[in-house]
Amino acid sequence: MLQYSYRPNFPPTRQTPTEADQCWVDYDPIVDRPPLRWPDNARLAVMICPAILDYEFMPPGNPWLNPWARTEPPDVLGYCRQEFGNRVGFWRVLELFDKYNVRPTAVVNVDALERYPDIVAAMTERRWDILGHGLSNTRFIYDYDEATERAYYRAMLEKVEALTGVRMTGMGGSGPQAGTGNTPDLLAEAGFVYQSDWSMDDQPFPLRVRAGKLIAMPYPADMMNDVTALASFEADAYAESVKRQFDRLYQEGTHSGRLLTIAVHPALIGQPQRIRYLEQILDYITSRPGVWHATGADIAGYYLSNYYDNALARLDRLRAGGSR
Amino acid sequence: MKLTQTGSTDHIYYRRDPITKRKALRWPNDALAAVAVVVSAEYYEMRPPPGAFIPPNVPGGFGRGPYPDFRNYSVRAYGNRVGIFRIFEALDRYGLRATVALDALTVVHCPQLLPHIARRGFEVVGHGQSVTRTISSRMSMTEEREYIRSTLATIENATGIMPSGWHGPEYGESAQTPAILAELGLRYVLDWPNDEQPVAMTTPNGSIVSVPMLVDFDDVYALFHRKITEARWQQAIQEGVEQIVMDSTQSGRLLVINLHPWLTGHPSRIGYVEAFLEFLSQHDRLWLTTTGDIANWFQTQSASEATG
Repeated sequence: MLQYSYRPNFPPTRQTPTEADQCWVDYDPIVDRPPLRWPDNARLAVMICPAILDYEFMPPGNPWLNPWARTEPPDVLGYCRQEFGNRVGFWRVLELFDKYNVRPTAVVNVDALERYPDIVAAMTERRWDILGHGLSNTRFIYDYDEATERAYYRAMLEKVEALTGVRMTGMGGSGPQAGTGNTPDLLAEAGFVYQSDWSMDDQPFPLRVRAGKLIAMPYPADMMNDVTALASFEADAYAESVKRQFDRLYQEGTHSGRLLTIAVHPALIGQPQRIRYLEQILDYITSRPGVWHATGADIAGYYLSNYYDNALARLDRLRAGGSR
Repeated sequence: MKLTQTGSTDHIYYRRDPITKRKALRWPNDALAAVAVVVSAEYYEMRPPPGAFIPPNVPGGFGRGPYPDFRNYSVRAYGNRVGIFRIFEALDRYGLRATVALDALTVVHCPQLLPHIARRGFEVVGHGQSVTRTISSRMSMTEEREYIRSTLATIENATGIMPSGWHGPEYGESAQTPAILAELGLRYVLDWPNDEQPVAMTTPNGSIVSVPMLVDFDDVYALFHRKITEARWQQAIQEGVEQIVMDSTQSGRLLVINLHPWLTGHPSRIGYVEAFLEFLSQHDRLWLTTTGDIANWFQTQSASEATG
């Protein structure tokens, strides 16, 4: 049950003129890359991302994306289903993170921090990391020009720091929207270290930006994201998929380190019939040696310090037709 | 060129003889049934050219979003960056040679993939320009001929080998596709999932063989569109193979399984691919081969029947 839909025949968006289809990512087969080694030679870095979301009861219309596609807003059913996450589900999920001593990276709509101060207090006390997810899951920036989008990131960084003390290092688009043609450049310019919208790999990789540096930190759009998984299956299938994903990446991690990002939405996984499956997942992923349980800031920071420059230099050589 | 019969809304490509009434087909080496694996290497554009036709059910995420849709692009790009190598390594483990359906934009944007295909000796078939530019009857015949010709030329220039087979992106064809494929010298097509044996097609430009890939075995149709679990999909493939083998005692049948690395190349799914590949490799009555070898064998058998 996904409440979004793209509008039929949505208008064009501002486009960054480039020759190629996209200008940010170089094709780079995972088997051709030099090995990636995580701290303490861990096989696998695991990052778990609970979503703290804001959904508006009566959001303004958007020509590209319909936030409440089931009915004209208000969609009381859809709204309540999401709000359950911040009222009830979050507290169940929090208890499990405490029990398994996992420090997550919360995916945050910044407006939710103002609405739910108790959640902010719980996160702050436990030093959770924060991955920005726009202002609200019912607001989209397709029509932002460069100056507006630049101001938007600056305002979010400052607001989150003021409310939580965390200087965000990562950002991903709100809802299913991913941003504009300027987004990677502007994220790098604003001081973000990574963007989470590129779910195309099992390792971090460098993005090409106008100035500065930006890492793609793959964030799941598939069965590792409970939204997608639970739209079609129950939580047992989600937990089984995560365990299988973990096992395979753990096995491959002996050759070259892998990244597993697990997205959980307290509105869904925090429901009474499902929370036990999150417990299964946490129990499983914390029971193996050689796993680096880390936050987005930790992983991106490590990659930036140890791999980014070499990875980009190698891609430059490949582009120039040189050897690997 | 007339591709339909006068007064008919149907096409003229093949006869309607039921599988029970055909001459017996025998596969090589006393195999009862033939099984082939197709791996679709596809490029999904963030920004297709104006006028490109994309079927509304092209899978991934919430559907196609406005530019720049990093997310849907990424879901598909995972296939060529990561997933395809898990599938290739699984095929290596069981000593299987696959057919790679390769589109032109993968050749252009993912050139480092090509040596991984070549060194395994996999067959390559043309798979259109990209999954975001599919063939449909909106194209004129001239446009479609140029689309297919340029796809094949791109592959031949990059790999040195002219493909003998064709698989339209998203199984996309127009009413005239088989005739154009025959005109351009292709020997077989994979887009007509209607049978368990190859089908001889005749067109005004000569003949072409259809090697059917039953779409309910296709990973995207099973796992993404129909949402069955991976375990059930694996079981269904094995049950299908067992049935085909049983039904092949009078006349040999075939099964072609089309895999999409952006989906079944994921760590959580590859184990099921490995499991059915192991099942296939341990079965002693199967001819495990490429779709090109199947088309060749069928053509040779048909020709020897015609002359003998």
